[in-house]
Amino acid sequence: MKIVVCIKQVPATNDAKIDPETKRIVREGMKAILNPFDTYAVEEGVQLRDKFGGEVIALSMGPPKAEASLREAISVGVDRAILLSDRAFGGSDTWATSYALAKAIKKIGDIDLVICGKQAIDGDTAQVGPGIAAHLDWLQATYVMAVEEISSSSIRVKRMHEDGYDICEMSLPAVITVVKDINIPRVPSLKGRLASNKCEIPVWKPDDIGADTSKIGLNGSPTRVVKIQPPPPRHTSTKKIEGSSIECAQTLLRELRLRSIV
Amino acid sequence: MIHHIQNKIYHIEVLPPKQDSEKLEKDLEIFSNKYLRVMDSSYCTCITDNTMGLLSFQGTEIIEELDLPVMSEQVMIHLNTFHTKDDLDNILDICKSKGIRYLLIITGDGSERLPKLQPSDVGATDVESVTSVELLKYINHEYPDTFVLGAAFNPYEPEEHEFEKMKRKMKAGATYIITQPLIERNEVVDRLLEKYPEIPVIIGTWMSRKLHLLSEAVGYEIPGNAEYDPISTLKMLHKLYPGCGVYLSLLGFKTQYDLIKDIWV
Repeated sequence: MKIVVCIKQVPATNDAKIDPETKRIVREGMKAILNPFDTYAVEEGVQLRDKFGGEVIALSMGPPKAEASLREAISVGVDRAILLSDRAFGGSDTWATSYALAKAIKKIGDIDLVICGKQAIDGDTAQVGPGIAAHLDWLQATYVMAVEEISSSSIRVKRMHEDGYDICEMSLPAVITVVKDINIPRVPSLKGRLASNKCEIPVWKPDDIGADTSKIGLNGSPTRVVKIQPPPPRHTSTKKIEGSSIECAQTLLRELRLRSIV
Repeated sequence: MIHHIQNKIYHIEVLPPKQDSEKLEKDLEIFSNKYLRVMDSSYCTCITDNTMGLLSFQGTEIIEELDLPVMSEQVMIHLNTFHTKDDLDNILDICKSKGIRYLLIITGDGSERLPKLQPSDVGATDVESVTSVELLKYINHEYPDTFVLGAAFNPYEPEEHEFEKMKRKMKAGATYIITQPLIERNEVVDRLLEKYPEIPVIIGTWMSRKLHLLSEAVGYEIPGNAEYDPISTLKMLHKLYPGCGVYLSLLGFKTQYDLIKDIWV
């Protein structure tokens, strides 16, 4: 089984700054991390490879420093990684990004399964995984919480939704996006981390993947961000519970139940 | 552990490099230098386990990877409950094979990225989550007569609850106690010593001037003091707790290390 895991490097902050002109996140000088949802995609790819054999390849598009996130994926068991990086890719929206990733997936060739995190924590769009499926014209399942069965020609997954879950079966190749419930991502070992530092990560440019430059970067991005504003602050209040330990626990439980938290 | 106290062996905390280090090789070199320096001084290196939920590399894997020497009496590994069963067994197996005997068993601080041991992993049937008590029982059961197991004592927690926990930790196999760092005499620690006169107690000592970090570490507000002097505090705690060992948290290797050698005489 040949699996591609698409990952993204995102700012390590909940307080991202937005460029008022471009309406884009200012990434310069900001600490970057592997998108947390993508760690579950990586882990699932590694687990499937361990179980069924084959190869798992991490793929990312971003500036040269995005290489660090690919190395992180290698440190937890991914076999190799590829970075799409070029000025021409800059400013791509989710449609242009998924186009470029799909072109790279085609170039890698013979892929059975593409796994993405359900969304990136910076854009929060959840569009790139489905976009890749659309560009490749493959079947897709989003919000996957379990891979129940997989063979050389089909996959059965459990999809999470607000009221429960669906069981979907589809033929391969396919794209899935995964949620946190799917696994517990492993923590990189020191050996894995040191080995990942020595790996060579090829950088592919638009020509390498046969991308039409009118379909990538700003030119290829139909999205127009008209306005950005922070969400209204949440109204929170603090309540002090007093009494004996038992009384406090009873009051807390009652309050939590009233709010349908437990 | 008692001979650590009799032989005036300081327990010196050494933090392993963080997982997100951007200069890992350099950080490993610094770790290695500190480790070897503690060995050379005949003190005991105490390697933490994802302190405050911050992802770091394991002491055992660093020792293996860097091929650091292990003197059984001079290495202590902290071990918490935020591991997979496989990781836990792997750490314990490396400790056993390397001759690392001293383990400090703590519940630990979790984070989103850290897995948590499940009761079934450690053969616990009567609890909903694994704490240091279940981990102590598991290690004692699976590795009998292999390790010297210790437990942590937090005098900043509600006293009755903390003593109750300590009783269970002792019953589960802890044979020594290390307190959370102190900055002055602590009446709860005084009562701990009265309650466990036969058990070796190592007094945690806060060696950083940054007291807000201590508040974060122990989970309770420690009043700030711009004049806080760690070396004077260390001398004072030696006088206050003469029968106890000393665990140095956040010791400055550049500025403080050479100053401690003449203090415990």
